[in-house]
Amino acid sequence: MSRIAEKRAELPAWIADALPATAAAPNDIQSAAREQITQWGLPSLRDEEWRWTNLRNLSRQTLVPSAGSAVAEVPHPISAVLTDALVIEFVDGQLKTLPADLPTGLTLTSLEHASPEQRAAAFAPAATTPNDALLALNTASAQQGVVIEVAANTVLTRPIVLQWQDGVVPESFSQTRVSIQLGAHAQATVIESVLGMNQNLCWRNTVSVVTQAANSQLHHLSLGLDGDHHLLTDRTFVTLARDARYHSLNLQLAGQLIRREIDVNITDTGAHCDLFGLMMPRGKQVLDTHTRIIHNAPHTTSNEHYRTIADEAGRGIFKGRILVAQDAQKIAAFQDSRNLLLSDQAEIDTKPELEIYADDVKCSHGATIGRLDPEALYYLQSRGISFAKARGLLIVGFAQEIIDEAPLPALVDWLTKQVTRRLGGTTVAE
Amino acid sequence: MSEQQELEQLVQRDYKYGFVTDIEQEIIPPGLNEDVVRLISAKKNEPEFLLEWRLKAFRHWQTMAEPQWAHVHYPPIDYQALSYYAAPKSKEEIDANRPKSLDDVDPKLLEMYEKLGIPLHERAALAGVAVDAVFDSVSVTTTFREKLAEVGVIFCSFSEAVHSHPELIQKYLGTVVPAGDNYYAALNSAVFSDGSFVFIPKGVRCPMELSTYFRINAMNTGQFERTLIVAEEGAHVSYLEGCTAPQRDENQLHAAVVELVTLDDATIKYSTVQNWYPGDEEGRGGIYNFVTKRGDARGHRSKITWTQVEAGSAITWKYPSCILRGDDSVGEFYSVAVSNHFQQVDSGTKMIHLGKRTRSTIVSKSISAGRSQNSYRGLVHIAKSADDARNYTQCDALLIGDRNGAHTFPYIEVKNASAQIEHEATTSKISDDQIFYLKSRGISEENATNMIVNGFCKDVFNELPMEFAVEAQALLAVSLEGSVG
Repeated sequence: MSRIAEKRAELPAWIADALPATAAAPNDIQSAAREQITQWGLPSLRDEEWRWTNLRNLSRQTLVPSAGSAVAEVPHPISAVLTDALVIEFVDGQLKTLPADLPTGLTLTSLEHASPEQRAAAFAPAATTPNDALLALNTASAQQGVVIEVAANTVLTRPIVLQWQDGVVPESFSQTRVSIQLGAHAQATVIESVLGMNQNLCWRNTVSVVTQAANSQLHHLSLGLDGDHHLLTDRTFVTLARDARYHSLNLQLAGQLIRREIDVNITDTGAHCDLFGLMMPRGKQVLDTHTRIIHNAPHTTSNEHYRTIADEAGRGIFKGRILVAQDAQKIAAFQDSRNLLLSDQAEIDTKPELEIYADDVKCSHGATIGRLDPEALYYLQSRGISFAKARGLLIVGFAQEIIDEAPLPALVDWLTKQVTRRLGGTTVAE
Repeated sequence: MSEQQELEQLVQRDYKYGFVTDIEQEIIPPGLNEDVVRLISAKKNEPEFLLEWRLKAFRHWQTMAEPQWAHVHYPPIDYQALSYYAAPKSKEEIDANRPKSLDDVDPKLLEMYEKLGIPLHERAALAGVAVDAVFDSVSVTTTFREKLAEVGVIFCSFSEAVHSHPELIQKYLGTVVPAGDNYYAALNSAVFSDGSFVFIPKGVRCPMELSTYFRINAMNTGQFERTLIVAEEGAHVSYLEGCTAPQRDENQLHAAVVELVTLDDATIKYSTVQNWYPGDEEGRGGIYNFVTKRGDARGHRSKITWTQVEAGSAITWKYPSCILRGDDSVGEFYSVAVSNHFQQVDSGTKMIHLGKRTRSTIVSKSISAGRSQNSYRGLVHIAKSADDARNYTQCDALLIGDRNGAHTFPYIEVKNASAQIEHEATTSKISDDQIFYLKSRGISEENATNMIVNGFCKDVFNELPMEFAVEAQALLAVSLEGSVG
């Protein structure tokens, strides 16, 4: 039979040249990943998971690996909102400060000083296909990062904030790895906040590995609120043990290209995950989230709500997969993707997937794409509210349901302001 | 455990069309190369343009790779081991392959069609259906031709149309599914043997429903038929297609292409009941059904409706699509896909909205039992030019048994802000509550299941022409009744 071997584009030289001989990953894992990335190159539109997200712009650049010289420029705005937060600062992917006076039960270790066991846990997920090329690249190169460990029965009241300042040095790129380990019955809130600095072009490829023991609870927020030119590729792996709960809020407003992938593996009964997301691409932004929830055990549940508001020439991409393994009975999984398209230059691509191998399940998904309801706009205007304001009200209302999922009231207020401020700049179309 | 036994008993239905008709056939030796393509073309005495077209398709096919993205698994197909042409020999081999009238057709063949229950001869008159029956590679007979000719409708085999209406073939062939469209379409374009051609002239409403019956009979053959339906301005036609094959241990390939063209205000309704041999309980044998079906709603206010009931085939790879090019054009897709044993289905539709105010509706129901895998894969694409486009999609999956899979892969791409898209999908089994409720009303479990499954598929069955709706319901009942515990 005529099977033509697929030709893949080579890994750009500036990435290949930056591949270190050894990195933080255990040596055998690192060298295997190095081999994979060299063979695969960057993902292309021909790879199913990347058919809507083009990395061509990235591969055409020549970025330099970030060195340790950059220093933090501004205090992170979120520090003013969450005054008791434990702030971990990264600048261009380099760990700068770890907070002092940690509450009991919390251990923070920089990846450089991590023990072999900690490293093995942090680098556990393995790449299998060219779709995972960026994971392989990260495994092959990441040297910077942090290991967050919350001991069993510890309830952390202070949120942990990972503050990423990217692009302090223009045209740089970095690879980071975060490991979050929760012991049994532990509870924590981890907020990752990304700032693209000084409108500089830069790229950070990061991987987070979350492991939750029985009955633990994690609120995991990813906030991209500032900066127009940075690129971020971020993959998060979550493993849930019995009765563990994972709650994710993914709020992306900024960046030139943001690609988030969230893989949740539910391994035991009673576990639950909530994935909430809001993306607001405009300008020429590409904001992309791919989620995969795997129900590997019976009596597990998941709930996913993603919304996109695309304006100007922005592009929103959502792909969500729910997979129910064989014999994982009594599953309830719900997913919806609701999208607002505000301009004819904007584009929304969505693909809610169900892959079900068990029969006693209730799984459903819904997707809608549309514009603002003209009747709702008219109603508001007939009450004396200006068009622009009415439009803003409807959009914020649409976004609010997701923002309300933030764990702290102060954070909800602050995020609402960020979204409203963001809308102030949008042009009134139509 | 009585429920379990009942389940097994009922799920293990036999394939009632699994007989072989022992007819002398003319088969060319297995293998595929340019000579084979030339030979097929020569056998059919084709004009030069068609041979060129075939060769172009074949050369392109050689550069292509078999698609791997579908959610199906099968051992690699050896395309050189297949025979690409098989024709039943008529009693006197006059007029190449084509019998002059029904009387010339081998009685055994007619007997077989009788067995299949096709309204071919007098029965056709009763049913009021004009049938073009394709047996392996050659179109055997077309009924009701004169009556159709009176109103100007052309309904004949493809190879006949090539001779009688070459200008139409040349104008429309490959304009919807280009020769190099995909791997199987390219293969089909190179080696297609026969099929049906329908042309409804301007303003004509086809007086009866047209129908084709496909049957693969010979061993080690592939069937590559090609259907082209053109509805001119204001024309209207309803077309039915049915398929069966004998029971064999090896897999057989069926790679068909269907092209529909509607001009302004025209309507084509294309209904399929696909019941190819699905393989046995162990997953041995069965048809690989790799089909490209596409409609081009070229004219304004035109409409294309695909309705399908998919019960057979070991593997189905089929995405009847609509290109909604004309303003205000409408595309519809109604599907019931039933899979049992080791069947694999990867089917769905593509709705490509290009024109303004185009609308599409997708209703897909899948029922999986046994160890089958049933996937819906669909694309809704709203181009920048498609102002005020509208799509509604509903995909529901019903699972019977815990060793099968039901999957949904909908791609939605929107580039126009005035579009309104809704998509919903659910997956569940028949709930114990529903069964309990019906049982408490004195309805047996089997009947209760039947009611629920029929209710589940009702939206689609309502879209089928009458004769087919009855057949489809019967088919579903045989496939699944009582198989829920």
